[in-house]
Amino acid sequence: MSEITIHVKFFGAFRRFGESLDFPVPAGSTIAAVKIELQKKLDGYGLVSDSVLANDNSILRDGEVIEHDAELSILPPVCGG
Amino acid sequence: MSAATHVSISTETLNIQDAYDFVTDPAHGAVDVFIGAVRNHHEGQDVQGIAYDVHEALAEGVLAEICQEARQRWGGIKIYISHYKGQLDIGGISLIIAVSSAHRAESFDACRYLIEELKKRAPVWKQEHYEHGPSEWLPGHSLKVGTHG
Repeated sequence: MSEITIHVKFFGAFRRFGESLDFPVPAGSTIAAVKIELQKKLDGYGLVSDSVLANDNSILRDGEVIEHDAELSILPPVCGG
Repeated sequence: MSAATHVSISTETLNIQDAYDFVTDPAHGAVDVFIGAVRNHHEGQDVQGIAYDVHEALAEGVLAEICQEARQRWGGIKIYISHYKGQLDIGGISLIIAVSSAHRAESFDACRYLIEELKKRAPVWKQEHYEHGPSEWLPGHSLKVGTHG
């Protein structure tokens, strides 16, 4: 199975880990699987579970499949205003 | 964005007059304005300031979506929303929402709807800086599907 590269930009509390992170996942991984891999890369950081992955247009559902390299963002719970 | 809606994320000082000028309309007899400002305390701690982090592209889309919802519920209103991105001291303006309408009820109701939905859905985060102790990112509303209804 081929690998793809996921580039994840950090926001809010995730900025403790820097600006972004690149890591490989198998092509065809679901968003849920990408989140699990991200959590591993961040030493099990619990906030990943309450956060969502998004592109610049929308939040991605857990069941969505990623076939190609992707630039995503991890969004922790929000508190604007 | 329509002529009746303005949405922006700004790193410049937010300007109340800009909001008023955008929504004012000869057919509208009411303008309601909500201003978010940095306060000097939070849960017993003395706050020095707040840093606002924003996913700009997604935030502008979410705010436009919320404005569209409001205009569907309260037809004919004009809306201005601008959210600040960056560091603010005490008293700094983090958010301006202005709504105008023919009569006051629509403006009040729509303005309340817009701020409540923004707080639940817009990808914005606050890092509070305290007089004593380390800075903290504030908890908030999860964007997981089904958790912000």
